Parts: sequence; structure tokens; C-alpha cells
Amino acid sequence: MFLKQIDLTTALRPSYLPDEDLLFVQDNVGLYEGKYKLPNHQIGQVYLTSHRVCYVDKADPRKNSLAIDLKDVERYDYSAGFIKTSAKISLVPKATKRSSLQPWAPGLASNHSRSATSSPVQRTADGAHRSPPVNQPSAGTATWVCTICSFSNPVPSNFDPSTASAHTPLPPCLACGIKPTLTHVLKAAISNATSRSPGGPALLTPLPVRPRPVSGIAGQQQSHGPPTSPRTPDAPQQTPDPDASFQCPRCTFLNHPSLMSCEICGAPLISHDLPADLAHQPRSETESPGPFLQSSPSAVPQGLDNFETVKLSFRGGGDKIFYERLKRSMTQRKWLLQGAPPIPRSARPGDAASSGLGIVGGSGGDSSGGAASEQRVKIAGIAGLEHRGQAMRKNNELVIGSAFEDLEALMASAKQIVELAEKFARQVKSGGNGGEGVENALLLAESASQLGLITTKDIVGTSGSGGGDSLYLSELARNLAEFLTDDGRGVLRRAGGIMSLVDLWAVFNRARGGVELVSPADFEKAANLWEKLELPVRLRTFRSGVKVVQARDRTDDTTIRALLAWLRDLHEFPPDRHVPWDWRVFGRGVTARDAAERFGWSIGVAEEELEMAEDRGVLCREDGIEGLRFWENYIDTGEGKAWRDPAKEERDKIMRALKESGFL
Amino acid sequence: MQSPAAGASPSPAPGTAAFTFPREYYFPPFFTWQTNLTTHHAQLTKWAALVLAYCRHHRIFRLALSTGMSASAPMTAGGGGDSSHADGGGGAGELFHNRQIGRRIGLADAREVVDFLRKDGRAEYVGGAGDDGEGFGGGNSSGVGGGGDVAWIYWRTPEEWAALVEAWVDETGQKGSVLTLYELTEGDATRGTEFHGLDPELLQKALHVLVKRAKAQIFGHEDSQGVKFF
Repeated sequence: MFLKQIDLTTALRPSYLPDEDLLFVQDNVGLYEGKYKLPNHQIGQVYLTSHRVCYVDKADPRKNSLAIDLKDVERYDYSAGFIKTSAKISLVPKATKRSSLQPWAPGLASNHSRSATSSPVQRTADGAHRSPPVNQPSAGTATWVCTICSFSNPVPSNFDPSTASAHTPLPPCLACGIKPTLTHVLKAAISNATSRSPGGPALLTPLPVRPRPVSGIAGQQQSHGPPTSPRTPDAPQQTPDPDASFQCPRCTFLNHPSLMSCEICGAPLISHDLPADLAHQPRSETESPGPFLQSSPSAVPQGLDNFETVKLSFRGGGDKIFYERLKRSMTQRKWLLQGAPPIPRSARPGDAASSGLGIVGGSGGDSSGGAASEQRVKIAGIAGLEHRGQAMRKNNELVIGSAFEDLEALMASAKQIVELAEKFARQVKSGGNGGEGVENALLLAESASQLGLITTKDIVGTSGSGGGDSLYLSELARNLAEFLTDDGRGVLRRAGGIMSLVDLWAVFNRARGGVELVSPADFEKAANLWEKLELPVRLRTFRSGVKVVQARDRTDDTTIRALLAWLRDLHEFPPDRHVPWDWRVFGRGVTARDAAERFGWSIGVAEEELEMAEDRGVLCREDGIEGLRFWENYIDTGEGKAWRDPAKEERDKIMRALKESGFL
Repeated sequence: MQSPAAGASPSPAPGTAAFTFPREYYFPPFFTWQTNLTTHHAQLTKWAALVLAYCRHHRIFRLALSTGMSASAPMTAGGGGDSSHADGGGGAGELFHNRQIGRRIGLADAREVVDFLRKDGRAEYVGGAGDDGEGFGGGNSSGVGGGGDVAWIYWRTPEEWAALVEAWVDETGQKGSVLTLYELTEGDATRGTEFHGLDPELLQKALHVLVKRAKAQIFGHEDSQGVKFF
């Protein structure tokens, strides 16, 4: 399945996988399948992450949101907009993901701009050794261990042991940058393949074929290479060889099945047996040119299996940046890192230091760390402990230093760095004193994982229609809503369900770890968007102008009920010290501080809430030497209800008079 | 200080029992002026009722606001209640200061209560506003001026007192006869009536009401005035 349904967070953003990074967001994007518009997927936001392309529908996000795993994408193309046509980016799924029953549509091929500018790394790699990535599922999990630094590298997805030769380009070790020998990788791939059961479900999926009236091709395909998966003994038309190649009708070169024109002579490789119903579908017009794929809503999920090319139509611009970022993330292939084991390290600190050195001087081949470990002398007692600590610190320095030395190494040691950051945060925590310090430090520790998921101004695209900042703000609003409602973090819950905007701003910026801080103006604007975006939090302004954030389901009435219940409890429980009044009748006065403690609010919020309740006539105040206390309202026991503000009454009278005399 | 002591005759009014304060009197926030207008209005209403009831109980005709504010009120707190109105204008000590819960209201707040009463015609500042007290005296100038400190508390308005006196005159068949003012309030004949022990100035006010209605006539000098009922 190429297009997948995705889970959304409470703020209607895609929920990210572990290690997934958000790279770009663009709104006003529509989806096409082939050259047809997908119904119900025409206006939405596209999130480009390091692992996926997610489409979140604007009208019905819960139902119509989809994602495409980048690992399933074989190729991607860019076609610029022209007059009424918006710029589009096509994502071509990998062969295994394509259904064998779906023929190539001629229009699809003609729609592809096969310009040289859009030939990505992926394609050149394919072209180099022409091996279809059929065994990708197994190869994707295979790893080879670098002989230099013993880092476990993934075997590249396009590496096919059956066709690999001395000329096959091999990626260098991700940690030290040294190229492995072919035999080394070959061994790893083969051992991985043999350790898997040959009848794995991934290999049994029907493999693609391009139905062709040309006969005899099947035989040639057989001879092309040894099959890596068992075949069902059916007609070759239906279940072809996994290495199915495609002979060029002009020069007889065996092309990769996913190519649409011959790699040697450039002749078009188009099927002729297009089913008639595809061509004669009734099409509906929408404001944007391009036909719709007609299907009933229920048919959409079924149809997902059969998608070939998915196009993203960028009606609001942002296509170029999206394309650049997509290119980058396709090159980085971060999804391969997901299963990679951490760098093996020895437990001894001296050796750890030397391995750190090894990473730094990786290009120099043999590490110079041997000398370092030899220099290590045994020191006992406090001096030893100090020495140990020093060595630790040195090691940490080295790791950090090496991680930032070059990007390659940073990627490889990302996990280590995050671990270090967390450890530092923990140290801050243990060093901190007082409850608040601990809590904040906890937030800091969590922030390390948060770093990748934040929305920054350069992640979002510029919206052509709605002004520059609107997309950024709405993303920020969603981001905030997620941050607030995230159960694991529980920012809002810990603050008693209500939090002043200023506090939130501080916590949020702190969670961002000091980078890409949000300006107060943007923050307020984003908070104002919550209502419009129908997010589960809302911004509330107290009478005094203090702005607070609270969950949508919390209203003044529930707050008042909670306050009253609490005050009634005070009738039951005797106060701590003797009070001169009858506490069984009146209970006890509470200060803002008491309320803050009771409900977990901040003092400012507690004051505001109490005053709100007073304003409603539920509480009354007592201004004594001990400060302002709030009591249940035993003063106004119904007498005040009939009374109205004389000024207001006067106003009403004037208004009435004006109305009657026809002035209004 | 204003009025001469009216003698320590035990009043026949039902002041023998201790005054029972309303529940709010023991509610600490009752002594803080509320910011919520609705609650504040209810608070004023309750305070006004309390002041009236208290004054009626202790037969206080004029209430000295500031003496009540000072911590040491000369009153023997409600013990017998007999001599409560003895020293000119009953002290408001107990009224505005609840020693039991240690709460009190300020002078300004007490004035507000009086102002609130004045709107109902239930109070008037002594000296501040002449004989009729309605017009120019106003609520605003009640501060440092003539009699901002002491106020008449009309738990019976002059009109009501006048009606009482008139009814008593009717009852006892003294129309046409002449009585001294002292006789009216302190004499044996009026013992048992409500206006026995009435403040002389207040009596004057009440009788003026009758004079205006041409039901009575006052004559005589400052000290020895007489009144003739028609």
C-alpha cells in the first residue's frame, strides 16, 4: 500500500514516528493519482518529514489524511506550473508497491517531465547497475560492520548481491567514511538473506509486470539474473520474474521496469493495451484544471492499493522548497538509521576516549587511540575518581566535538549526542534544588526529543494567498496545542488545567532548548488562532486582561463548581488553628495562594479565577491584615438578585426611550 | 457631647435582653466592602437593617460614628442594655466592631451605611442638614463639616414619631391641653409609651411635623417649651 492512512495528533497534525523530523510544511496542496485528481484530497497541508510525506486534509482531516513513506518512493519528479497548471511534484512508488494489474496510462507518462534536472541520486544509482530493488525488504535490514570503526552500517537498499561487481558503487561507512570492500558487504548481504526464511511474506507479494503483447520477453527475463525469490508457477504474464526487465523495442536493451523511456536510446516504453474504461471516465471540473478520479468515497481506500504515481499539486506555491527538501531527505535516507544498532563501545573510559579519537581521525584509518590506552595508569582513591571523572569529561568533549565536525559523523552519532544531552539534563536536575527546579529540568530533558519536531519559520512554506505568516502561525498554534495536550508531558495538567500565556511562552521556549525561539507577538497571534482551528485548547482573557490557556472543556462554570465544592469541604474539616467565627456555618476564607496550592494553579491564575467567581457573585472578599481572602457569599443571599446596577438601568432607560422615539 | 444627658432612667423598651446580632455579623467578609456591585448592594442592605435593628433595640436615636470606631467604646457590651443611650448618641462600638471575630468597618464605610439609610429617609446627619435635612446637606458634604460624625438614625422617622404622639394625645383625650416637652418624654404620664425617653431634638422634629399639619403649636423658650395639641 503506497498511500497509508495516518494517525493525527490532537492538533490535527500527523503524529510522528520516533526519530522522525519535520522538514517542511505547505498548505493549499491537492493530491493527484496519475493525472486524475483524488476526490476529497484537494485542499490540505503537506508535511514533509525525514520519513514520510503526509497529507492532512483541511475539510475532514480525520478521514482523508494520507501519508507516503519515502522508503517506498522510487523516484520523484518536479514539473513547474504553467498558466493554469500548478507546480506539481510526482512521487513514483517502488516496483514492489505497484500493483501488477494496473497498466501504465499513456497520459501519465506524457505528464512526467523527464527533464534532466529532476534526475535524483536514486535514479543514477539505479541506472548504474540496473538492478530492481526487489529484495529491498531484506536488504534494508541487512547491516555490515565497518572493519575500521566497527559501526554497523545498513546495506544500501539498491545493493543486489547477484549483480554486484567491483564497479558497484558502495557507500562509505557512516561513522568513519571509509569505503568497505565489496566482499565484505556482499558477505553481509548474503548472510542476511540466508538467515531470513525464503518464503517471507514480503517476497511473495505479486511483483510488477508491464503487460506487453510482445512475446518471448519472459524467457529473456529469466536469463537475466538468478531469481532471489521463489516463484509461483504461473504464466509469466501474471507472475513474472522479480528481476523482470523490459526490453526496448528499438535497441533491445533490457530496461528497468519502472523506466518509461529506454535508458540507452531514449525510445518511449509505453504499453499499448490500455483498458478502455480508464480513458473514458466521466470527469468533473473543479476550479483547478485537471480531471478528477471518479470513485465513490468507499472506493477510495481500496483504490489506494492501486496507486501508481501520486502527485502533489502546489496551488499555493512552496513547491521549489519542498522539492529541495524532499531531495535532501531522499538522499539522507534517515529511515535506514532507525534499526541501526548504536556504535559499540568499550566500557573502560580510557578506551572510550580512544574510540572517540577514532571517530575524529576516522579518515586517517587506524586510530591513534592505542597510545592513549597505554598511557593509562592505575590511580586509586580520590585521585582515581577524579581522574576517572576527568577522563569522562574528556570523552564527552571528544564525542561532542567529533559529532559536530562533519555532518556525516553527526548523523551517525545522533543517538549518542541525544543521550548525552539527556544525561546533562539529568545532571542539571539532580543539581537543582526545590520542586520547581526539578520540574523545569524534566522539561528540559524532554526537550531534547522535542527539538526535531518544532515548527520553525523556514520549515513552512510561504502561502501565496493568505499572507506570509499565516501558515507559520497556524502551524505554531497546532504545535502549541500538541505541546499542551501531550499526555506524556502534561504541561497543562500539571498547571491545574490552566496556565497563563506568559508562563506557557516561557515553558515552550525553554522546551525548544534555546533555539528558534518564538517571539511573544507571534506566540499571541498563534494562541488567538486556536479558536479558529478548533483545537482542544482555548485562550481566555480575564477581566484584568490576563490571558490564560486552558482546555476547551473547561469553562467558568466548572471552575466555580470546583471552587464551591472545595469551600463546602471546609465546613466539614476544622481549620488548623482556632478561629473565632463558626466555621461550621461559614467555612473558612481562602487566599489565592490556598487556591493555587489546592488546584495546582499559578498564583496569578488563582487570583483571576477567584475574582471571576466573585464577579459572578459566588464568592465574596475579605480584605484583612492577613491579605485578601475569599469566602462563600453569605452576604448576598438573594437580596442582591433583584437589584440592578443603577447606571445600567439608566442606560437601558435612555436606550428604550431612544428606541421608542425612533432614533434608533 | 451634643445632647445633655437625659437621665439614667431605665427605659421600658424591650432592651432588657441582649441584642442578637444577625448571622452576617459573625461572617468576616461582612466587614470588607465588596467590589462586586450586586454583592455590595446586598451587603449595604444588610448593614442598614442591622444598624436600624441595633438602634431600635438599644433605643439609640443618634449614632456617633467615630466614637464607635475607637477601640474603647464606653458601652458595657449589651449587659443590661438599660443605659445604652445614656451618653449622647449611642456608641457604635459594638455595632461596627465585632470583637469576637476581630473585624470592624472603617469610618468611611460606616458613613456609606448612613448614606444608604439617608436615601431611604432613615438617617440624617446631626447638624449637617438643618431641620429638614433633605436638600442641600447632601451625601457628599457629610465628612468634616458640621455634624458628619453623628447621625440621626430614624428607626422611626419624625413622621412616625409624630403619629405616635398624636395617637397618644388622642387616646388620652388631651387635645387642646398644653404639655411641656419634658413632660412628653420624661413625664410619668407617658411612661409605657414608645416615645418615652425620646431625644428632645428628635421630639422637636416630630412636633414640627405636627405643627406643619396645624395639629399642634409650639411656644415658649429654649429650655421650657410647651406644646399645644389641636
